Amino acid sequence: MAYVIVDTCTKDLLCVEACPVDCIHPKQDEADFEAAAQLFIDPEACIDCGACVPVCPTNSIFILEELPADKADFAGQNAAYYGK
Amino acid sequence: MPVLAHVLAENTREGALWEPLDSRRIRCYACAHGCPIFEGQPGVCKVRFNRGGKLYVPWGYVAGAHCDPIEKKPFFHVRPGAAAFSFGMLGCNLHCPFCQNWVTSQALRDPRAMSPPLAASPAEIVRRALELGAEIIVSTYNEPLISAEWAVAVFEQARSHGLLTGFVSNGYAGPRALEYLRGWLDLYKVDLKCFDDRRYRKLGARLQPVLDSIRLIHEMGFWLEVVTLVVPGFNDSDDELGRIAGFLAGVSPDIPWHVTAFHRNYKMDDTRDTPPETLARAAQIGRRAGLRYVYSGNLPGAIGGGEDTCCAGCGARLIRRHGFRVLDYRLTAEGRCPQCSQALPGRWAAAFRPQRGL
Repeated sequence: MAYVIVDTCTKDLLCVEACPVDCIHPKQDEADFEAAAQLFIDPEACIDCGACVPVCPTNSIFILEELPADKADFAGQNAAYYGK
Repeated sequence: MPVLAHVLAENTREGALWEPLDSRRIRCYACAHGCPIFEGQPGVCKVRFNRGGKLYVPWGYVAGAHCDPIEKKPFFHVRPGAAAFSFGMLGCNLHCPFCQNWVTSQALRDPRAMSPPLAASPAEIVRRALELGAEIIVSTYNEPLISAEWAVAVFEQARSHGLLTGFVSNGYAGPRALEYLRGWLDLYKVDLKCFDDRRYRKLGARLQPVLDSIRLIHEMGFWLEVVTLVVPGFNDSDDELGRIAGFLAGVSPDIPWHVTAFHRNYKMDDTRDTPPETLARAAQIGRRAGLRYVYSGNLPGAIGGGEDTCCAGCGARLIRRHGFRVLDYRLTAEGRCPQCSQALPGRWAAAFRPQRGL
């Protein structure tokens, strides 16, 4: 399962502040924050709690099973950010 | 579903296990998630939420209440044969696909799960427990940590009537919750579900806080028993069972370990039921790791002697059980073996009273 962030993400970091297991990066104090186009969820660290979803102001976070077809690539992109 | 969520939102009061985090968030300490919760949002459990910068928690209802044998919780080293009045609320901080109580635990996540709440007060719950002859009162059926304040309110009344109090929990606690419960809780059953962090995350939690809590529950003097539901293909390898047993024996060889059989349920209806041979193997692994009290559960009579308590000193069979029934009880009033005087760990009754209604 795991949740997936797609390219409408505006890096406002509210999801990072709601996540109980710190599985969303890059955070503001991390080296690649400025360069990264969006935030990503580590699919192996995510506990599927969904706390990030309601706080996202741009509706950019989906559970894998409900990822829109035109955003399907982002499951791989989230995993790839973590080398997975 | 919105209706149920609305009903639960009404049945709340301000909680104790939280503090402000920053100008927009509060942090809940009821469980190891330690959720940072924004205004208007719930925590992972979906029953504790931030309203106006304060944490509101479940209050004033039960989703189920029954009188069960204490053996069903299961506690095997607590007043064998005693009646345990068991109450639960709704919701959980995990989402295990093999949940055996999903109708109550997943009520706020899964629209198929429906278990309507009934209004109740702590005094009414305790009065009902006493009417039914219970010696023990247990918060169970859903995860008790997420309604710890309510449990303490019930336990305060229960204690004043001389009842023992218990939690049947996934053990995803933290030091602050355990400290809060310390004065009111006697018995703590933890589900240690596997020994792999990656798989624990698929259930909605991390492994390490469960291990830390097991150690702390033991050190703080709660009476602890641990259950592992043995699910084929999930946690039934020799290596995994060995690591679970080794960890528990390292905390204390006196912790009873229940290895229990999985029955097809909820989202794992294509997994086969746990065969008796697997439970017998798990029990043997537990004993080899040094655990003195290992029990096979959920398959009454299937594993010879697997439900019995034997003296760790001389090996005498001191309590014989079949499922939740106690067939024979030989401990002394002090909880010792009558043959060799070895003291057995537990919360024993001065005298065994035959079970009713079984």
